[in-house]
Amino acid sequence: MSTVPGFLLDRVTVTRGPTRLLDGVCARLPAGACTAVVGPSGAGKSTLLRLLNRLEDPSTGQILLNSTPLAELEVLALRRRVGLVAQQPVLLTNHVAEELRVGRAELTEHRIQHLLDLVGLPARFAQRRTSGLSGGEAQRVCLARTLAVEPEVLLLDEPTAALDAVTTAVITEAARNHTAAGGTVILVSHDLPLVRGIAEHVLVLHHGRLVAHGHPDHIDYLEAG
Amino acid sequence: MTGLSVPSWGGVAASLLLIALTAAVAYRQRLHLTRELITASLRAGAQLAAVGVLLLVIFAHTGLPGAFGWVTIMILLAGQVAGRRGTGLPRARWAATLGVAVGSLVTLATLLGLGIISTQARVVVPIGGMIVSGAMQAAGVALRRLREDAQQARPAIEARLCLGLPARDAFLPHQRSALRTALLPAIDSTKVVGLISLPGAMTGLILAGVDPLTAIRYQIVVMYMLLAATALAALTAARLVEHALFDHAHRLIPLPEPH
Repeated sequence: MSTVPGFLLDRVTVTRGPTRLLDGVCARLPAGACTAVVGPSGAGKSTLLRLLNRLEDPSTGQILLNSTPLAELEVLALRRRVGLVAQQPVLLTNHVAEELRVGRAELTEHRIQHLLDLVGLPARFAQRRTSGLSGGEAQRVCLARTLAVEPEVLLLDEPTAALDAVTTAVITEAARNHTAAGGTVILVSHDLPLVRGIAEHVLVLHHGRLVAHGHPDHIDYLEAG
Repeated sequence: MTGLSVPSWGGVAASLLLIALTAAVAYRQRLHLTRELITASLRAGAQLAAVGVLLLVIFAHTGLPGAFGWVTIMILLAGQVAGRRGTGLPRARWAATLGVAVGSLVTLATLLGLGIISTQARVVVPIGGMIVSGAMQAAGVALRRLREDAQQARPAIEARLCLGLPARDAFLPHQRSALRTALLPAIDSTKVVGLISLPGAMTGLILAGVDPLTAIRYQIVVMYMLLAATALAALTAARLVEHALFDHAHRLIPLPEPH
């Protein structure tokens, strides 16, 4: 079998009760690039992301990562390779430094400073209580927490929804840096400027079906369609 | 011992006057509780009479096997009651029953094995009852808390899973919180025992004519055994539920929405 870098979705269907969240999706999400998944609410975008780190499994069809079915990979190792930043920031501990160590307990002070720098937060934030963070700061800490695990693939689920311009800029930059370093980014977003700014490839979902895919320059047309 | 002083059957009948008084208050105040009050009082009397007869038979004829049979029935009933607290969780009744069984039997076996209490049925049954009751409350509280967390803290649990944490670690903060909630009442009542109210076992012994310094020895053992039963029951039930809450791919299974 030849190695196809990145994710390959092969006739992926997800049903929940009577509802088809994804319906026979075939797509390729290439490694080392940023792919954006767009579409109206309820189109199945977040479900697609949850399949990629096996928070959910397809009802039928399969997903391959570098030509290996996800189901054959050790799931905990897979989740460390495929990091997910959720739409709503969820902080798990009391202090920022502690937060960054949730997925990697042995993180050094130096590395913590570096991660905070990557997400545009000053070094003193390491000692800050998480309860006092703004929404944008919390989202950046969540991004740093995911980056601490050093994932190959970064899944971003509406990471800038309802957040400030600075946070949006930081997340954009982090996504660009990730692909520049050879990593993969899969972005779910309604934010078309963000998609145009960082994505090299766009998938359009509608009612669980892949209705179009292509270069982001066509995104207005695709969205309207 | 200074002699046994318990009410005669005539005394028991006379105590019905207190129920009549309560019923009169309920009636006069139009609480609409009179019928329920009378039913509850008569039912309590009948239940206790039946239990008394059954215990008499167990104590007189069946010995330790009969006592353990009785304790087993209590464990099964307690498991059902505690399991209801976790309705919505997978295998809640099974987890509760096993939790109560482990908490009760380990504690009881320790008390018997170390010769702390006598192997007489008349000792094993009431001590077993206290242990099962404590274990039931702890398992019930732990399951209720676990259910609330599994329903409401899904984003936090999944955030930990997304960082590659195994299910057990992802759920650990919630399990700890449930165990603390289950254990704190037992620890609190251990702290204030004898200060706020005289506890049941000690009260019973004193009423039966045992001198207080002897009665407290029993009470100390009772408090310690309740702590052990509580901790073991809550921990066992919580671990079993945790196993049922996650699938083989370390995913929190779908649960019914909270009401």
